[in-house]
Amino acid sequence: MIDFHTYPVMVKELTDADEVLAQNIHEVLGFHFPSQPLDCFLRELDEAGVEKAVILPLDCSTAHHCRIVSNEQIADLTNATSRLIGFASVDPRQAEAPAQLHHAIRQLGLGGLNLDPAVQRFYPNDPDSAYPVYQACAELDIPVLVQCGMSWAPGSLAKYAQPLLLEEAVQAFPSVNFIVGHFGWPWVLEAAMLAVRYPNVYLDTAILYSGTPKDVYRHVMAEQLGLDVMERSLYHKVLFGSNYPRIDIRRSVRGLRALGLSPAAEKAVLGENASRLLKIVRSK
Amino acid sequence: MKSIVNRVEVATNHEIELINITPHVVDLVNASGIQNGTVFVLSLHTTTAITVNEGLPDLEADITSMIQDLVPEEKTYRHSLFLPSDGQMGVNAPSHLRGALLGFQVFFPIQDGKMVTGSRQTIYYVELDGPQHRTYVVQILGE
Repeated sequence: MIDFHTYPVMVKELTDADEVLAQNIHEVLGFHFPSQPLDCFLRELDEAGVEKAVILPLDCSTAHHCRIVSNEQIADLTNATSRLIGFASVDPRQAEAPAQLHHAIRQLGLGGLNLDPAVQRFYPNDPDSAYPVYQACAELDIPVLVQCGMSWAPGSLAKYAQPLLLEEAVQAFPSVNFIVGHFGWPWVLEAAMLAVRYPNVYLDTAILYSGTPKDVYRHVMAEQLGLDVMERSLYHKVLFGSNYPRIDIRRSVRGLRALGLSPAAEKAVLGENASRLLKIVRSK
Repeated sequence: MKSIVNRVEVATNHEIELINITPHVVDLVNASGIQNGTVFVLSLHTTTAITVNEGLPDLEADITSMIQDLVPEEKTYRHSLFLPSDGQMGVNAPSHLRGALLGFQVFFPIQDGKMVTGSRQTIYYVELDGPQHRTYVVQILGE
């Protein structure tokens, strides 16, 4: 199993060494719980039965004057354990973003890009800021995870995060795999439309708004979409992502398993789809 | 009267786990120099417990089954929502309620420098929402 959506914002080794980072985690992302040793994160993966996790940083230099975990810190964590797959983040509002992304992938060895338009405050269909970053993704042959829908980060604005804003970019960069984070909630049907319609669009299951993972997955995937749609048209386009540490990974896995997907679809969502995307990265 | 407060950290490995902390508590009592008094053992978390039982693996498994049966994971709970004070989803109502049933502290007398316990009594630190990095307190109070 692979968890495609985690944040290393609770890792004590990082926050103890960087007080400014700890403050930004509180103020910008709204996380207010004590840090725990990296080993605790790995034990959480063990208990959930998850082999590997994608860890995500966020560069919000323009909007909030900070990077919430730098690309270098992500690389340090991935060098410490092979179970973590590091993504990079750059701020599309900064002119040097494409060059920074090249550095993060080629020099630091990271495997994808994380963008969060609601927090970084840019429109993902902006040709001036976003497109040069997508172009860099195409050149580097890496996937881009775009956080869509509602964000719990204080000060985030959902107007930047509507999944449909991605459609033109998806068409303009057909070689780039776009992952719509949070299943685009509450714009679930828009997000699903993109994933059904375009071969280079994926969805992740980091959906958190109310209730347990079991409640939420049932509501979104079984009731709003329908398991028949999942089985026929989306099973190969959905990636398991917990959004840890906003929620525990154990209950997220159990919620996904309780959906009632066929064994083949469940296996695809819990790991095979992510492996396929990440193997593309590894094969560069 | 002296009061000695020890903070003890423990790394848990499983969602539910009973950890025998008796030897550590006994060591702290012996090292305290207190001859007559009381030792209190308290957890600092609301999704853990401290309990006493006979130290047998089959009973540990039975206690685990009992709390899972009494507070099932699948029931609908009010505590299933986003908590702005944490920045996390609060979806661990079963862990909290299991802790409430088992309790958060135990105490034993200290007499002639020794902790007074029954021969079968084992003190367990009970993880109910692990794995996590936890802290419990051993307060030794006396003369």
